[in-house]
Amino acid sequence: MVKSPWLDFFSPHIIKIVFAKINQRKMTKLLKMKIRIVVFLLFLNSIYSNTHAQKSNDISVSFYPTFNNSVINFNQPAFYKTGINDSIQFDLLRFYISGIQLLNDSKVVWKEENSFHLIDANENLLSILIHPPLNISYTEIKFKLGIDSITNVSGVMGGDLDPTKGMYWTWQNGYINFKLEGKCNLCTTRNNEFQFHIGGYQFPYNSIQTISLMVESKKNIDIDIDLAKLFESIDLVNTNNIVSPSKEAVLFSNKIASVFSIQKK
Amino acid sequence: MKKSFFLLIGICFTISGFTIFNEKLFYVPKDWPKPAYDFSKNPLAHDKVELGRALFYDPILSKDNTISCNSCHSQFTAFAHIDHALSHGINNLIGTRNAPALMNLAWQKSFMWDGAINHLDMQPLAPIANEKEMASNIDSVVRKLQRSKLYPTLFLKAFGDSIITGEHTLKAISQFMLTLISSNSKYDSVMRKEATFTQQEKNGYKLFKTNCSGCHQEPLFTNQQFENNGLYVDATLNDIGRMKITLAPNDSLKFKVPSLRNIEFSYPYMHDGRFKKLSDVLNHYTSGIHQSKTLSQKLEAPILLSSNDKVDIIAFLLTLTDRNFLFNTDYSFPKELLLKQ
Repeated sequence: MVKSPWLDFFSPHIIKIVFAKINQRKMTKLLKMKIRIVVFLLFLNSIYSNTHAQKSNDISVSFYPTFNNSVINFNQPAFYKTGINDSIQFDLLRFYISGIQLLNDSKVVWKEENSFHLIDANENLLSILIHPPLNISYTEIKFKLGIDSITNVSGVMGGDLDPTKGMYWTWQNGYINFKLEGKCNLCTTRNNEFQFHIGGYQFPYNSIQTISLMVESKKNIDIDIDLAKLFESIDLVNTNNIVSPSKEAVLFSNKIASVFSIQKK
Repeated sequence: MKKSFFLLIGICFTISGFTIFNEKLFYVPKDWPKPAYDFSKNPLAHDKVELGRALFYDPILSKDNTISCNSCHSQFTAFAHIDHALSHGINNLIGTRNAPALMNLAWQKSFMWDGAINHLDMQPLAPIANEKEMASNIDSVVRKLQRSKLYPTLFLKAFGDSIITGEHTLKAISQFMLTLISSNSKYDSVMRKEATFTQQEKNGYKLFKTNCSGCHQEPLFTNQQFENNGLYVDATLNDIGRMKITLAPNDSLKFKVPSLRNIEFSYPYMHDGRFKKLSDVLNHYTSGIHQSKTLSQKLEAPILLSSNDKVDIIAFLLTLTDRNFLFNTDYSFPKELLLKQ
């Protein structure tokens, strides 16, 4: 059998020679030296991790579903007065935010990796943290409302994209980008309910929307979703049930995207 | 030294081979196209396939624990539903379409008769949630699996995590379905020059290539397109096919071209199971074509076949039966897992 050179390296003969060359005194010296090196490396590491932590910034991006300036509590449904003097109640709000980017002068300066977030008003999951580096400045945040078409055709995913989250259609494939349910007497449906399950990733019924808002660098981002404004442009008598990809869904997604705005302080 | 070098190279190749796909569980038959399924996102492993097999045969997926995937997809009919034009599911409710045969799914680009499903992983969601099939949803299925005695251990073995998720459940079912390869029919043996057709089969094959293979392309015996094959609309169903998904009028009455492999056992035929025999199917193509705006261009010119021709084509179609597939015990009910419960 031909011996491998790797085996030669560990042969007892060579090890004996190596050890013979190092006497006891030298060994202790070597040990002390080693300890010093380790301590020094630990010190370097602590400095590095400190500066590293400072290099990125935790910015919260929070969403506030509102109706005429009052924040809607989805766990204690209340009636709100609409413009045409009817009342409306909200029971469920859930949507996807994806592909978060920060821009300066229309140039992308930072992109979140693997950026998919489920925002769920009923579960009080209305805020997410992003971690852009400290040394960048930006004037704009850009994100998608919904899930892109590539992700829609790439098979099952985990985390916020797991189909158990109730944001995936079963009779036909595709993520539901935005879900809003509630009640209004204008709806002649069962229990006066309205249901908007907005999704669709294929042309011509792609309902993913890009939202772009002006922000200040290094400050938390608070975004209002003004549902009063949304329902000003929706005729609930005729439009109260959109649950599949369609022209109506695309139109609705446009309207939702237009009611996201930076909170006025 | 040379020897050990080659050994090292050999080991590297074996390891990388296993990570792409486990040859024992999946292979690409000679001269077949590249699979459509992306194995890199869900590499096959024995424990995952076995978990998927248990899930496939377990009625736990349905609301009242009565219906499993196997209820409408039985192995001896190439995983179709024998004698059922339309399948019945929970509470004896009847669906609206014929349960298709399941095989060679790694090559399939879209699922369901209308292509509603774009990925194998997502396919089980449809029957699980359909009110007339399993009437459940993936969320409650996951919760039921988590509470069961059997599954947390199986998920731990397969995925290294006993916390069950929708992702892992669907990936496991995909794993089992991906192993369902049918490529050992007499036709395949003839193509590999290990067997020969009889004169009748040979003539049938010739006629098939002239008249049928435009849509039923070899080696999968489907072009995976959606076509209107001239069936009159059944007024009790009013099924518009592909148009339901795309909402495009030019997709009206189009259905996916099914594979013809194992067709001897996957009767009744068509999306609504309206034909019981292969001869009914051939008679439809020669004298039953219903004209409509979206009729397949391939059917515009009439198909002319004598009754002898039809008998020969059927003789050829029977060579697509793959007994190794229909009776492969790797695909059958996992007694060791499910009967223990």
